[in-house]
Amino acid sequence: MSLWRQLTYGLRSLANRAKHDRDVAEEVEQYFEEAEAAWRSRGLSAKDATRAARLEAGSVTVAKERVNAYGWENTARNFFGDLRFAGRQLLKHKAFTATATLTLALGIGANAAIFTVIESILLAPLPYKNADKLAVLDTHWTNSGHTTARVTGPDAVDVRNQARSIEAMSLYSSGNLGVQLRDHSVYTVVTFVDANFARVFSLQPIAGRLLTDADAHHAALVSEQFARDNFANAQAALGQMLQVENEPVEIVGVLPESFDFPAQTRVWEAYPLRPASEERTAFNYKAVARLRSSTTFQAAQTELIGISRRLESAYPEANRNKQILPQPLHQALIGNTRPTLLFLWAAVGLILLIACVNVTHLQLVRSMERERELAIRRALGSSSRQVMQPVILESLLVSLIGGAAGVLLAFPAVRVLVEMAPKDLPRTNEIHLNGWVLGFTLALSVLTALASSVLPALKAAKVDPAETLKQDASRGMTRQGATMLRDGLVVAEVAATFVLALGAALLLHTMMALSDRDMGYQTRQLLVVDADAPAHSDQDAQRAVQQFNGIFAQLAAMPGIKHVAGIMGLPTSAYGSNGYYTVTGAGPVDVNHSPHADFSVASPGYFQAMGIPIKRGRDFSQQDTGESPFVAVISESLAKQSFGNADPLGKQVQCGLDSDKWMTVVGVVGDVRQESPAENPGPTLYMPMTQHPYYGNQIHIVLRTEVKPLTLMNAVQETIARMNPLIAMRFTTMDAMVNTSIATERFRAALISSFAGVGLLLAMLGVYGTMAYTVAQRTFEIGVRMAFGAERGAILSTVLAHAAKLACYGIAVGLVLSLLLARLVTSMLAAALAPGWRATHVDPMVALRSA
Amino acid sequence: MTDANTDVIQGTLDMLILKTLSLEPMHGFGIARRVEQVSRGVFKVNPGSLLTALQRLERAGWLDAEWRQTENSRRAKFYTLTRAGRKQLEEETADWTRRASAIARLLKAEG
Repeated sequence: MSLWRQLTYGLRSLANRAKHDRDVAEEVEQYFEEAEAAWRSRGLSAKDATRAARLEAGSVTVAKERVNAYGWENTARNFFGDLRFAGRQLLKHKAFTATATLTLALGIGANAAIFTVIESILLAPLPYKNADKLAVLDTHWTNSGHTTARVTGPDAVDVRNQARSIEAMSLYSSGNLGVQLRDHSVYTVVTFVDANFARVFSLQPIAGRLLTDADAHHAALVSEQFARDNFANAQAALGQMLQVENEPVEIVGVLPESFDFPAQTRVWEAYPLRPASEERTAFNYKAVARLRSSTTFQAAQTELIGISRRLESAYPEANRNKQILPQPLHQALIGNTRPTLLFLWAAVGLILLIACVNVTHLQLVRSMERERELAIRRALGSSSRQVMQPVILESLLVSLIGGAAGVLLAFPAVRVLVEMAPKDLPRTNEIHLNGWVLGFTLALSVLTALASSVLPALKAAKVDPAETLKQDASRGMTRQGATMLRDGLVVAEVAATFVLALGAALLLHTMMALSDRDMGYQTRQLLVVDADAPAHSDQDAQRAVQQFNGIFAQLAAMPGIKHVAGIMGLPTSAYGSNGYYTVTGAGPVDVNHSPHADFSVASPGYFQAMGIPIKRGRDFSQQDTGESPFVAVISESLAKQSFGNADPLGKQVQCGLDSDKWMTVVGVVGDVRQESPAENPGPTLYMPMTQHPYYGNQIHIVLRTEVKPLTLMNAVQETIARMNPLIAMRFTTMDAMVNTSIATERFRAALISSFAGVGLLLAMLGVYGTMAYTVAQRTFEIGVRMAFGAERGAILSTVLAHAAKLACYGIAVGLVLSLLLARLVTSMLAAALAPGWRATHVDPMVALRSA
Repeated sequence: MTDANTDVIQGTLDMLILKTLSLEPMHGFGIARRVEQVSRGVFKVNPGSLLTALQRLERAGWLDAEWRQTENSRRAKFYTLTRAGRKQLEEETADWTRRASAIARLLKAEG
């Protein structure tokens, strides 16, 4: 009842202020009239009665004011009044408002963008049913601490049969393959899954049905997008045939767009529940599982450690020190992106800090301008709260406008981030601004407002009217404390910028060192075609190699192309092989100490096309065929590793790539960096395609061009398709591939550099503001000095010396901070990358008891 | 020589208003004059405080207000005690009596 009255009366008075005022005025006036009448009735004259009433009850105006001030609506009205006042002030001081808003928009925008990425990748649950119960299985070796995200077939089957904490488990493997459709072929990620896969993810097809064990090698599911791209729509895809690794499979179902596991998969082909590989040492599979809703990861891990121990006693050779462990799927997916993202977050945090300092500083300058106004308010009796309120409101208003502008900035920023993101950044398709981000931004804005208005508001509250009114800044009479405070802020700003700039410099240095590295081959003007010719049998493969040789000849004859060759194991590419090899004269084979090398299978002319120098001997030739003696070309590192200073030509090499025939070394070539510029050049064993046709049907064709490589794309595609329309093709350039191999480093460096740039801009604004203000304040003093004959240069140097001093302090503080932060970042990275950390989370007693 | 203290004891103004209005509806000055007369001049009420208190009590639901003509045909705001106000008055009176007698006992014991 009374609350209702409070509300309605307050609202009524807010809505009709004039009537409320009239009523109060009338009531007060009536009171005084009655009082005067009472005095008159006691015999006073009209004039004396008025005086007596005033004497007794005070002034009519004061009484009206007091009565009017009652009610919550007055606080609200004051608030809105102050807000309007703050708005008007902001409009009046356009330079201040624009600078502060822009500063905050940059700071808040950068934070909103990075938070969007962090929220989508690290915080948001995976878009699958029971996402918190999904796990991948890893194999962990307790003696070495090594962990792999793969499992062997038999181990996984044992876990599937025995673990009661696991509701469903599926084995899968995936690869980037050429898929042949009726009239064309496409390159895409194909995942081979067993019938449990759909159960693990509780999948519902949008058309058709799911896979059963009887479908193995005969049926596949495709993604909605794949169906749309190749068959118009999901319904039309049903019943269509695909060729995957030369097996004809029928599309029996279509999965919704939203399902994207493993990332980028478009085709899920059925494989049997009983894995083909029966070795406990062949880690051919990945495993994904759903835990029972009643269990926890802790319990599942304990159970799996028990099962691993039983397997170890049953198979002491193969399973020694081996544990199969569950890891939350979310954690497995985000993997080592967490430190990168947190690192970026810290960097944008610094930017926001700089922005806050800037705005604080701008506010301080404003409040110094207003000091006299505030002093007069205080002198007229405003409480310190009443003086602080407009200052804080102004700050809040600026922050909210800045925050709104920041969100607007964040939209394009997020799009750029996603574009720039390295391909292996998980869940990029899920990144978008949402309510959480908006909430975060709002909270950030309010926090910023508070942070940047604390100092000015406190100063406003502390204004001593008597002192302030005596001071006159335009005459150069100011207190010392004010300058100290502003100088401190400049130092803080320079320090934060320095930390950012140093971080950016370090990352850029790494980046530049990586991009400038000699890869061992020429990356410019090199078109690369990912080519996958269907081949099922050895005869198919041999035919494919023959056909490729014909294609190389055709392509080489095209204008603008200098050299053409084929290669399995192109540097920085996804395919490739490596393993142990033996050489003649090296004594008995010791499995544990065999030399190791990358294996590549190349066509004649590969070294010439790539610009890899032939140091000794010869290249492969058309005379090296399946019937002629087997030959090999080795890299310099391999020669040094296995033959030392002896002449490697004519020596015999054997490796387990596909045949155990001995190969004669016919040439030595320069080393290349195989994986990325970050890697050291290492030993490589090259073998001719004609002698290893099994590795010759899925290759990269490299074309050394005289023109921009990609301009030849259509012509090359037509030529190859004319020779064999079933060859799946994908085009890129060597430069692009090398670039991609350092995408993560570049992503980090580019972001931090742009943050440092923004930071620098803000710090410059801040320093400029302080200096301009100081100089303006000292105009009088400077004028006096000059009147007494001070040199222009001397005055300039005082101002500059002051700025330089602040910058030096800032750099010193920044240096110390950088050192501290560097240790923090290093330890954070180390913690994130340490492999067996999960093992330390197991309670040994629980693990033992369950065994 | 200082003037005798005529301020209303902190927190008792509401009770005095409610008590005064329990007899009949009155306007602001009427309440002030009555408090002064009944207390024989011990309490003098300031119009600023009184009218603010009336607003507060009205919003609390203890008083209703209405514009009416006074005996000399002047428009004035008359306050009436509501049922809730009467209950409040009883509570405050009981509370006050309890406290006052406690203070009286204490003062007596001191003397």
